[in-house]
Amino acid sequence: MKRRGFITLAAVLAASALSTSAFAIDWKQQSGQEITVLLSEHPWTAELRKHVGEFEAETGIKVKIDAFAEDLYSDRMNLAVRSADSVADVYMIQMDSALYTQWEAGAVEPLTPYLNDAAKTDADYDLADYPEGFRAGASFPVGEPDPQLYAIPISFEAYTLFYNKELVEKYLGGKVPATMDGLIAAANEISAKGEGKVFGASMRGKRSAELVDTMTGIVLDAWGNEPADLPYNIWFDGDWAKPRFNDPRIAKGLSYYAGLLKAGPPSALSYGWEDASRFFSQGNAAFFVDASVFGPGFEDAKTSAIAGKVGYAPLPASTGDIGYSGHWSWGISIAKNSTKKDAAWLFVQWATNRKMTAALGVATGGAPRDSAWADPDYVKALDAGYVAAVKTQMQHTRPTSVFRQGWNDVVLMIVDAIHQIYQGTAPEDAVAELQTNVQDTLE
Amino acid sequence: MTASSSARRALWPYAVAIVAVAVSLFPIFWILTIALKTQVDAFAMPPVWFFTPVWENFGKAWSSTGFSGAFFNSLIVCAIGNVLALAAGIPAAYYLNKKHVPGRRTILIWLLISYMLPEFLFIVPMYVLFQSIGLYDTVIGLALIYQVFTLPFTIWLLRAFFADIPEALAEAARLEGASTFRIVWTIYVPIAAPGIAATVILNSIKMWNELTIALALTFEKAQTVTLAVASFRGYASIDWGAMSAASIIIILPMALFAILAQRRIVQGLSLGAVK
Amino acid sequence: MRRDKHIRWLIAPALVLLAAGTLYPIIYAGYLSLLQWNWGSEAKFVGLRNFARILSGTGFPKALFNTFYFAVFAVVIETFLGLGLALAINRIRIGAGLIRTLMILPLMVSGIAVSLIWKVMLDPTLGIINYLLSLVGIAGPAWLGTVPTAMPSIIMIDTWWQTAFTFIILSSALKSLPAEPFEAARLEGATPFQTFRHVTLPMLKPVLITIIIFRTIDTLKVFDIIFGTTGGGPLRATESVQTLAYQTAFKSYKFGESAAIAVVFSLIILTLCIIYLMIDTDDGEKA
Repeated sequence: MKRRGFITLAAVLAASALSTSAFAIDWKQQSGQEITVLLSEHPWTAELRKHVGEFEAETGIKVKIDAFAEDLYSDRMNLAVRSADSVADVYMIQMDSALYTQWEAGAVEPLTPYLNDAAKTDADYDLADYPEGFRAGASFPVGEPDPQLYAIPISFEAYTLFYNKELVEKYLGGKVPATMDGLIAAANEISAKGEGKVFGASMRGKRSAELVDTMTGIVLDAWGNEPADLPYNIWFDGDWAKPRFNDPRIAKGLSYYAGLLKAGPPSALSYGWEDASRFFSQGNAAFFVDASVFGPGFEDAKTSAIAGKVGYAPLPASTGDIGYSGHWSWGISIAKNSTKKDAAWLFVQWATNRKMTAALGVATGGAPRDSAWADPDYVKALDAGYVAAVKTQMQHTRPTSVFRQGWNDVVLMIVDAIHQIYQGTAPEDAVAELQTNVQDTLE
Repeated sequence: MTASSSARRALWPYAVAIVAVAVSLFPIFWILTIALKTQVDAFAMPPVWFFTPVWENFGKAWSSTGFSGAFFNSLIVCAIGNVLALAAGIPAAYYLNKKHVPGRRTILIWLLISYMLPEFLFIVPMYVLFQSIGLYDTVIGLALIYQVFTLPFTIWLLRAFFADIPEALAEAARLEGASTFRIVWTIYVPIAAPGIAATVILNSIKMWNELTIALALTFEKAQTVTLAVASFRGYASIDWGAMSAASIIIILPMALFAILAQRRIVQGLSLGAVK
Repeated sequence: MRRDKHIRWLIAPALVLLAAGTLYPIIYAGYLSLLQWNWGSEAKFVGLRNFARILSGTGFPKALFNTFYFAVFAVVIETFLGLGLALAINRIRIGAGLIRTLMILPLMVSGIAVSLIWKVMLDPTLGIINYLLSLVGIAGPAWLGTVPTAMPSIIMIDTWWQTAFTFIILSSALKSLPAEPFEAARLEGATPFQTFRHVTLPMLKPVLITIIIFRTIDTLKVFDIIFGTTGGGPLRATESVQTLAYQTAFKSYKFGESAAIAVVFSLIILTLCIIYLMIDTDDGEKA
């Protein structure tokens, strides 16, 4: 017995020694360098700050974090990345047309060479742990056989349904609607009975490109399981010259959005995400459809009046049984004008490995690695209902990205169409006008 | 005139003042309540009138990364900016008041053009320029670029104040052999002292609260305080308490400055007056 | 005339500063408006196409209308209010300094904070303003949320924020007016109104004109309070020229078009300023 145990132990030790020497990289290869990391003020950033010291100790690289509020961040990041001189080495990037535009402008460093270099990337990094759909937002050129990867996802959002358990109990007998039509009817019912204090739904409604992902998620639900390939997504029929904004499914999706807005407070058309989420977290609305990343915040009793009373569900189905939705993620990239790319890569690799993804995901509720959702610490830190809802939704989401420069302009037109439907225009007419407007803009 | 109507006459300015001050202060008072309450209480409706103050928001705001540094940066930028604007602006205002000076109209219009340039438009070329001449992320660079709006405003406004000063005074001084410099310094500046005080206060407020240019042309060494406030606005959550506390902290130096400026600048400048 | 040589030195520092700061951006903006540039590495020369696009589209004319609507109301209200308040406060003996400082506190709040706090206060359901109105039986409107009330709400916010500007300048101006003309008027038995009309107002004219010009330019450039509250909505009811230009550049990456907007807008304002200066030929010439 003792001898066998001893041999087993020796074998295990030998095997582990072998694996570390053959597959692990030298983490201290860039020791002494200093890198600047440009980040948006995001729960991920807040959590990262707590762990940065571990990276500095392990690699000897000094990390300077510069973080800005989200709406200032985009301009700041674009200036930094497109300047001739290096300002930031690693930066957070929205994995949609923002990253795409930067790639087109030649401002982002391709990461694939680093991933394939055994001296620079640990063998257990496991890129395939990131679902294909998440990596699609950073693989360019689109549609080519061998795209390169330009960002690693760090936090994803799926657009799901949040509901106030107390209000649903009180007004709907505890029954969460299973279809979108049912959801809108239920929301209207609650608004009618709410006496101007409680409303059915709280949604982002202001005329801003910030509605893009939530709106696309809902339209994807109406789209069902038909193909929605990038770079065109659902909006174009396989070719930029063939916009199909007047497709009846898009009309249906936009009318869902308008319907939810209408079941909301009178100021809905001026609500940004901070207003809509605050309205919900103060207990004034029964339903909130938006990014999953709001979840952890709603459970914080210091900032949310409904902590512990929030229910989570995938989007109700439009047709059939399955509610589809969209996802979107933040990623991190290396600036092409960086002079410390190797050190930057070590940071990117560390921040996105299995351990850190689960550790940082605790704050965002959106760890983009499959393995994270099996990690007990990660799952334990989040509300059980939240985990169940997001895991289900994750099986039925598509990217909300559209890889086209100037997409934001079109988003504003889509929002205008939603506002029109809100004010009473028939959805078919609104999307017909939308189609014309888009055709004029894109020529 | 009856006693009551003359009492009313004396009192109505106070009534107006009370209403004006109340209206001015209410939103600021509201920001203060958000800074002192928990977020849940801060946005509760009907409002929560009685609550235990949460002082940590102020501590959180002050000690958040870079806030205190940004605070002092803003102070320095304001100081340098004002000095530059006054040093160049007072002589220019005097000059442009004379009727027959060459280029008067052109310069006045050029000043307005400079003032009306949309900031976000010139930050792109200035970003490139500043990086190449080493002014990027420096307080002096920021103070210089702020002249684009402080200088036109200073010149135009002081011109208007100087216009109210009777030319006879300048004539008399010139007959006594005073140089232009002496005339400006001992006659115009003291009489226009309240105007100069107002100009300094308004320039300071504008520079203190400026965001677009600071966002583009600083990175972290010269970061100003307005950027620091904006950083409390996160993604999927805003730290309303800390942000409100930061906003209040930021108002304090300006308010203090306004109180002191009105009295001191007026006094100080009047010391040089020739009666 | 030999004194003229020295006088030129008075203007030199200002000119140098100005030229350095403004020549380059102005030329750059002019050049940029003729290009199609997406902030990347390529730029295409397209001549006047950007101008044709913005003038024939629906965005720019509406934004222009909104901006002028906002500017006219804001400047008129703030000037009259500021003047009235300055005259009133000028009569106060005790605590005038403190009152003045308290009244300019709104001006000291940064644009972001102003937008956020007013958005919160004006929320029809969760905001304090409608709550207070409900206490006296008035059902408050949806303020920033509906098309007819949105721009008036923005004007109201700007009035709260910026009236202090006209107030503090006029207040200082009143303080620095010479005393003799007022004495003379009093001796002649003039009523307060007559004094105001024939003594105060003419002496305030240069300052008033300056205030109106600068406030007009400021309001035409309105950005912060619109961007932070409504973003230009609902349905573009509050979209200003600058919010449109900013979105065109930094959100749609159409820098050339954005520059064209800035150029056209600047030309309009410039024309107004020149007309103003032509009409008002005697500013700066005081006896």
